[in-house]
Amino acid sequence: MSVSQIGELSAVNSTVFRDEVQAAIQPTLRTLDIDLSQTLFVDSCGLGALFSLYKTTGNSNGVKLRLLNPAPQIQQLLELTQMHQFFEITRD
Amino acid sequence: MGLPTIHTDSGATTRIAFQCNPAEARESTRALRAFLAEHHMDEAELFACELCLAEACNNAVQYVGDDHRNEAVVAEAVCTSSWVELRVVDHTEGFTMPKKPIELPPPDKERGRGLFIIHSMMDNVRYLRGEKTNTLVMWKQRAHHLHRPFARPSTDVPDELRRQLDDFKRTIGAMARELCFRSESLAAIFRCGTELGRAGDFGGFAQRLLGDLLHLTGADWFVLRLIPPQDLELTVFAASDPELIGEPLRLGSTEPPIASAELAAAATRTAVVYTAKQSRLAPDPLRATGPKATGIVHPILFGETLVGTLAVGRTETGPPFSELQAEVIRTFAEFIAIQIVNLRHQEEQVGARIMTRELEIARSIQRASFPRLLPQLGNFSLAGRWESARQVAGDFYDAMPLGDHSMLLVVADVMGKGVPAAMFATITRALIRAMAPHHHQPAELLKQLNTLLYEELSAVDMFITVQLVSIDLRWRHVVAASAGHCPVLLASGGGRPVRSLGPTGTPLGIMPDPVYDQQCTTLDDPACLMIYTDGLTEALNSTGEMFGRERLTGWLRDNVRFPCTAEELCEHLAAELDQFRSGTPLRDDQTFLILTDKTVPADLRAADTAAPARRHPVEPSPSEPTETVSPFKS
Repeated sequence: MSVSQIGELSAVNSTVFRDEVQAAIQPTLRTLDIDLSQTLFVDSCGLGALFSLYKTTGNSNGVKLRLLNPAPQIQQLLELTQMHQFFEITRD
Repeated sequence: MGLPTIHTDSGATTRIAFQCNPAEARESTRALRAFLAEHHMDEAELFACELCLAEACNNAVQYVGDDHRNEAVVAEAVCTSSWVELRVVDHTEGFTMPKKPIELPPPDKERGRGLFIIHSMMDNVRYLRGEKTNTLVMWKQRAHHLHRPFARPSTDVPDELRRQLDDFKRTIGAMARELCFRSESLAAIFRCGTELGRAGDFGGFAQRLLGDLLHLTGADWFVLRLIPPQDLELTVFAASDPELIGEPLRLGSTEPPIASAELAAAATRTAVVYTAKQSRLAPDPLRATGPKATGIVHPILFGETLVGTLAVGRTETGPPFSELQAEVIRTFAEFIAIQIVNLRHQEEQVGARIMTRELEIARSIQRASFPRLLPQLGNFSLAGRWESARQVAGDFYDAMPLGDHSMLLVVADVMGKGVPAAMFATITRALIRAMAPHHHQPAELLKQLNTLLYEELSAVDMFITVQLVSIDLRWRHVVAASAGHCPVLLASGGGRPVRSLGPTGTPLGIMPDPVYDQQCTTLDDPACLMIYTDGLTEALNSTGEMFGRERLTGWLRDNVRFPCTAEELCEHLAAELDQFRSGTPLRDDQTFLILTDKTVPADLRAADTAAPARRHPVEPSPSEPTETVSPFKS
């Protein structure tokens, strides 16, 4: 499953994003790709939503979680907050 | 969003006030990012600024109480070619900024990640808590200085106008900065002042206030030394780090060179710059602030009085404090001085209240030691009055029966007023009570009293005047002896002249072995005898006129009417004295004792005869009583 066209993950939309993704996950899901190539902004609420997805899918159900092509600043933010260890960060 | 922008030489500024909800907060941070982008910030800087603003605005929205949800949150940005300043003003209850380094909270923890991000991405962060609003201020150095200078408005205006415009901009920019700085200082002062009023904890108050001062001035350390009352040492009262609490510094060694910057500031009463490098060899306690530390030491003065010193500085060598920062440090030092003096004044007032209460207790004890019921023997009535100029008095009166038919009357005045006089009054009264049964002659009693009290009284340069009168109630014989006291007055009423008995004698405590005379007489029938202290005749009215002995004897002459009781006469005289003084405060204690016949002989009752008659004509007595003077030496 792949989620894309994410403009931003902020206090305004992160809860909706998390709930919608969780609702779409099938029990047979093996890999969840979150495409961050279009994402211009992520704040601590956005990071919280990503970690929440990791907890409910990756951590407990063995789903591989991949973050695709984050902008350099967003990748730095993931590293700064140690979030990068929970996801596979992939670049094309 | 087109934002109003103010350009000054120190950069461009913009400000947004937004409704307290996440969507508005996000919209505002986007707008501020766009503003910063106009000033040529690179993508990494823009992302950091937008992110930190978003975190600050989210916190302002998330943690606001219901009471303030309708109040706008304000976000500001100031951008210069070398740095960016971001501010978010919130209406939350505020929080205490944790000490650096701020640790990354666990990933599943909702709170704290935003603050960690802000501290990691910004070069300097301060959270200024005010009474109603708090301000998070974030500074970021711009990574490189390749930015173009700020876009200037078109230069089609004449040079003179441009120059004036630049001047105005400079002035307004400086004023705006100063205003911000001062409002933060005042907010800190008011907040701490309110806390002080609530808690009365000056130590905690000083610690918090000076903690705020460090934030405001970008300083790292402070040392507040105070001079305890009645001391000559500068003692550390509060410090930013326990390691800075050094030994007290002894004041007074003003001879140069002064080894400590704090002592130098105290001695010169001026601000002294401290640099660790210059004081490397000197035993300056501020060296504990580090090998590269610099700072400023302000004397804390209240008027001309030195109250302490306040040292504030930075651990790393850097630019000196700006003029405005130095002024804020001075303002805080002055504010602390006012608080210290107020606090000490309050303590003194409490001390004074305790003293007043103790004196009230002493007064009630002394009043209780006065004879509650004077002996009323035979046909005589006896009453006394005592009014002290202070809480406790040096005057007293007493009366004690000596056998079935005799009585000893005592009025004394200890030189001085207040507690010491009251102490001697109490001792003297006790001694007279103990000795009177064994010394029936008043002069002999005075002699013995002087022997017992001379050493103590002369050691403190005090003396006591005493009037002793012993009366044989059967024969109406009176024997008086005086230790430098006012004479005894004798009135027989009906307008007849008042006589006085004035035996000579030195006050107790003046000479080691004085001679006391006795004077004897027989009381008229009926008669009124009065003993008093000089506080009565020396009482002043509002025009400075004395009551005087003449007025007193005149009053006795005109007002003693029989039958009457001593109590009635006392009340009458007290009213007369009050009327004379008409509110003028007493200068000295006032005491008097009055003895009168309660009844009038039948032969006098019929007609108001000019000459007094005798009720017990057992002894021949002339109509004008004879005063017998008999030198008495024990």
